[in-house]
Amino acid sequence: MTEPVTPETPAGTRPLPPVPMPPAPDAPSPSGSIEVTVARSDPKSARTFSVARRGANVVLDLLVAIQRELDPTLGFRYSCRVAMCGTCTVRVDGLPVLACQAIVPATVRRVRIEPLAGLPVVRDLIVDMRPFLERWAAVEPFEAGAEAGPGSFAIVSPDSSERRAIDPTLDCISCGACFSACGVAGDGRRFLGPAALNRAMTLVGDGRDESDSHALSAFGPGGIDDCHSIGACTVVCPKGLDPAGAIRRLRRWRVAGHT
Amino acid sequence: MTRAPSLPVPEPEVVDVDVLVIGSGGAGLMAAWAARVAEPGCSVAIVSKGLIGRSGCSIMAQGMNAALGADDSPERHFEDLVRAGEFLSNQELAWQLAETAPEVIRLLESEAGCFFDRDADGRLELAPFPGQSRRRKVHRGHLTGLEIVTRLREHGARLGWRELIDVRALDLVVGDRGDVQGVVALDIRRGVGLVLRARAVVLAAGGGVAALYRIADGAREKTGDGIALAYRAGLAVRDMEFVQFLSVGLVAPGSRVTGVLLEEALRAAGGHLLNGAGERFMERYDPERMERSTRDVVAKASYAEILAGRGTANHGVLIDVRHLGPDVVEGTFADLVSRARRAGRDLVREPVEIAPAAHIQIGGVDVGRDGATAIEGLFVAGEDAGGVHGATWQGGNGIAESTAFGLLAGRRAAVYASGAGVSTGDGGVSARATDVLRTAYEPLARDAGPAAWRLWEELREIMWWRVGLARDASGLAEAAEGIARLRAESAAVAVAGGSAANPSWQEALDLGNALLAAELVVVSAAAREETRGMQVRTDFPVRDDAAWLRTVVVRGGQGSHGVDRRPVEFPRLRPDAPVAVA
Repeated sequence: MTEPVTPETPAGTRPLPPVPMPPAPDAPSPSGSIEVTVARSDPKSARTFSVARRGANVVLDLLVAIQRELDPTLGFRYSCRVAMCGTCTVRVDGLPVLACQAIVPATVRRVRIEPLAGLPVVRDLIVDMRPFLERWAAVEPFEAGAEAGPGSFAIVSPDSSERRAIDPTLDCISCGACFSACGVAGDGRRFLGPAALNRAMTLVGDGRDESDSHALSAFGPGGIDDCHSIGACTVVCPKGLDPAGAIRRLRRWRVAGHT
Repeated sequence: MTRAPSLPVPEPEVVDVDVLVIGSGGAGLMAAWAARVAEPGCSVAIVSKGLIGRSGCSIMAQGMNAALGADDSPERHFEDLVRAGEFLSNQELAWQLAETAPEVIRLLESEAGCFFDRDADGRLELAPFPGQSRRRKVHRGHLTGLEIVTRLREHGARLGWRELIDVRALDLVVGDRGDVQGVVALDIRRGVGLVLRARAVVLAAGGGVAALYRIADGAREKTGDGIALAYRAGLAVRDMEFVQFLSVGLVAPGSRVTGVLLEEALRAAGGHLLNGAGERFMERYDPERMERSTRDVVAKASYAEILAGRGTANHGVLIDVRHLGPDVVEGTFADLVSRARRAGRDLVREPVEIAPAAHIQIGGVDVGRDGATAIEGLFVAGEDAGGVHGATWQGGNGIAESTAFGLLAGRRAAVYASGAGVSTGDGGVSARATDVLRTAYEPLARDAGPAAWRLWEELREIMWWRVGLARDASGLAEAAEGIARLRAESAAVAVAGGSAANPSWQEALDLGNALLAAELVVVSAAAREETRGMQVRTDFPVRDDAAWLRTVVVRGGQGSHGVDRRPVEFPRLRPDAPVAVA
């Protein structure tokens, strides 16, 4: 019983409001403008834009406004808008932030937006996250030999010292802010970096995991010994994690012979 | 006036793989995992329009339903789901979800390294979730999807699947014998075409219809790609009229923060909902429960107020929690206070503008067990697939569907790809690539034309005002006309900035898929002449079981959609069956 569908003639009596159309790009801005300087990968591209503040509350809104109304060739990444995907990370006046989370205060009249440090630029604010992800993979982040065996769940008290160490360090969104802020990793030197070592700490500490390869990578070349304890990673983490603390914990565990 | 495209299309590169997975959320990653484990000799590649595991909505899942409690069973999970879906589910698929979800949780904990929250005794915590008769929400705080996706992604290095990051699937290629041959794709970073020749394909691109609305909470990449690819390849879609809304999305004109959710918990805690005139409008819709009514009732009521012109200036309603006191609001809802602040609003000191937010596409490709389709070797999993949920979606069943069917489809795809008799070689993919790529490059060759984002904004307004939570024949006809007009205009879209890593071009390519997906929603909504679940027809305001225990199935090509009203089968639970003892 397949039949072609033709839309029926309007017969409704319900008064529908007209479909409102988006405001024209040249609509007057109610609250002034802001001068945005953006790092561009093509030297011929415009770098400085005067952006109407109409509705723009976060850095992401500034970028979208530029791309739509001033320069459609601007490259930047975003996805979830709620600080979970970790893809919109940029540096604003030097500080790595999530563009979807960084509020632009009403008093601010100019900002500078640059791509993350320490990662190859693909276009404008889009970076290649591969170096970050390769270092993450280098700590071999796969559980091996879960103690409960397949089909059952390990009994783990939420109050155990193990979970108290690990739980606050989970929920990393791989945004790369710590990597960019790190004086060693962000400077392009060989260092696993804060996020990978934070992950290594959770694996070394997880009693369900019998592998010691995480510890080997964390304690080996490019591991915790390369950390200069600057602590910028913890300062910039948009999720409030403490990679610097994780590295300190790994150092204590190494002294104590804990793998 | 636009001139004929003259841009040279670079020669595409060829990639051969046994199992190709399109999408890298919960369904795609689980499928890649399952394929590598089921057939270690099978090569697997994941194609992702954005970063792997971070370009969809799986990461945002709060919790996953799995019947793991001593007092629970897959039967009970199944029954909760089918009754909530008002009996439109494909019961075999709903059953597979309920049966497979516990296996997925065990795999995630024992093999993938996920750690889900424990109760005080150290056992897996099963939390309550609205609409579930048993405690079955497995979770890691509120970031369960993030834990699942991040852990699965980490295993890529161990299991050895290939990751094609920033690669967009443009179209599926089906051979003369009706079996899948591969995919024509685009390397977004380099702006180079790819001929992906595959023995089996798992389509798990994450749906996207919900993102076609003015107020929506989903990820940017969800633009109906999977639906459009499958439909253009000749597959039917079902249940496309059902789009799940949540009741509390932010309204922030001019900001990308629009649609971001404030949690339903604000209502449960005693928040008041006000219309533009300051009335607590829930009095008219559910005087007993008021704002503590169910998610769907509140969403529909808010929408009705807005549509009747009783909303705010920005076409929303207001949530007011000031009376709870600053200590409670800032203490209990710190995250939400901070979300509202990003919309320039202060939950502690003022009522905040909200509206129902389109959340999940319930319908999708018409699939059978394990996500198998009418195209041999092509499997569909996750939000791209239809049939599991029926007329309403329940929290906790989204990531369950994605991972369960990712697992089942990945396994089946690997077994299929390893079988003898699967056609190999080019299978016409290269020939097809020439046409598909030429069309894709056209916007880059035009000097002048509309910008894709303007058409996108218009589409979102049309869907919101005419295909939202109150529909009628005339409004749907208007929507169809509006979408047809946008389709005509989209053929003239011009993009500046070249082919390499150009988000504006990608937005233009998204638009074509979005318009097709939107058409399918409109056609399906017009066909279902009753009100059920998330389909509210003001001209057919009653649920009609006598006529409408049927599934709306649409198939065809662009421009002519054929509609079938297929009776639902009830192999496991009949609508007249008594409710299981609580």
